[in-house]
Amino acid sequence: MNKKENNEVAFFGKITAGITHEINNVLAIIKESTGLMEDLMLLSKEAHFPYREKFQKSLSRINDQVSRGTNLTGILNKFAHSPDKTISEVDLHELTEQVVALSQRFARLQCVTLVHNSSDQPLMVVTQPVQLQMAIFTAIQCCLDVIESGGTIELCPQKIGVEYGIHMVCQGHLPSQKVFNDHIYSSEKWTELQKITLALRGLAKLDELNCGINIYLPYDIALL
Amino acid sequence: MSKCKVLLVDDEKEFVTALAERLELRGFQVLVALDGQRALGLIETDLPQVVVLDLKMPGIGGLEVLKRIKAQSLQIPVIILTGHGSMKEGKEGMDLGAFDHLIKPIDIAVLIEKIKQAAQVFGCT
Repeated sequence: MNKKENNEVAFFGKITAGITHEINNVLAIIKESTGLMEDLMLLSKEAHFPYREKFQKSLSRINDQVSRGTNLTGILNKFAHSPDKTISEVDLHELTEQVVALSQRFARLQCVTLVHNSSDQPLMVVTQPVQLQMAIFTAIQCCLDVIESGGTIELCPQKIGVEYGIHMVCQGHLPSQKVFNDHIYSSEKWTELQKITLALRGLAKLDELNCGINIYLPYDIALL
Repeated sequence: MSKCKVLLVDDEKEFVTALAERLELRGFQVLVALDGQRALGLIETDLPQVVVLDLKMPGIGGLEVLKRIKAQSLQIPVIILTGHGSMKEGKEGMDLGAFDHLIKPIDIAVLIEKIKQAAQVFGCT
């Protein structure tokens, strides 16, 4: 990305991060207010209240949704902070987890499951975080164009030899390997993915045997 | 036995009001400040035993309040509250001598545990 594009992305990131703070405060208020209602219900448990069970069920539902909202704002906040630095050290597992979470809705609409094969061991690289997020998201989209309903896309960040990368493999009802490859090779998203990985000084390749995509990255983009 | 006196500092009035009521139901004496200036005043006049402090506030922010508490060598434990995106400030707060930090929205049970620990460490119950 050039400087103007970087500034634009940073602008969007800053505004989004600020708003996620506000949403988080809203969630905190809802959580404490429902918590207070629960406390008061508990204190008056001997008193007659005909709708007690329904009331408690509703409070429990609100609590579940607050947790869901908190999780989503957390992910969105981290995402919004991605452009804080054009180049930074990132953990491939953490970043993949983040993109998977942000892409779940797109996959769910096609009845496809995204799975991040995580690890406790961080896999650090120095790269452009926004571009890498775009690369992973675009690769997921390439796979979503081919995979059928009910399938799974598994993402596995790994280091093989001196190479770092993210291995993405489709599982479930799939076309033949040839049809899979031809479909992806001819798509605009694949061309886009090539451009993005090039900007990352990396490479995107089809997994010729397993209906998947591999994204390769250098350990430190700044050294190239 | 006297109640543990806790000062809640947060500019989100609805949040701090509900939290204060919940803590009072659990036997704490709660003071509330909606800004840093008011918090510093209450620390001086009411001598809370624990401070629960939000970092992002207009005017005197949480970190500044914490700095001023430490500058006066006050032995009041401070538990700081941060949002998801404020981990850096949270760490800064810990470096400045905060007792602990929690991420909002908080779990009341966890907060109470921290308040109790802080009160004990600093010699009050």
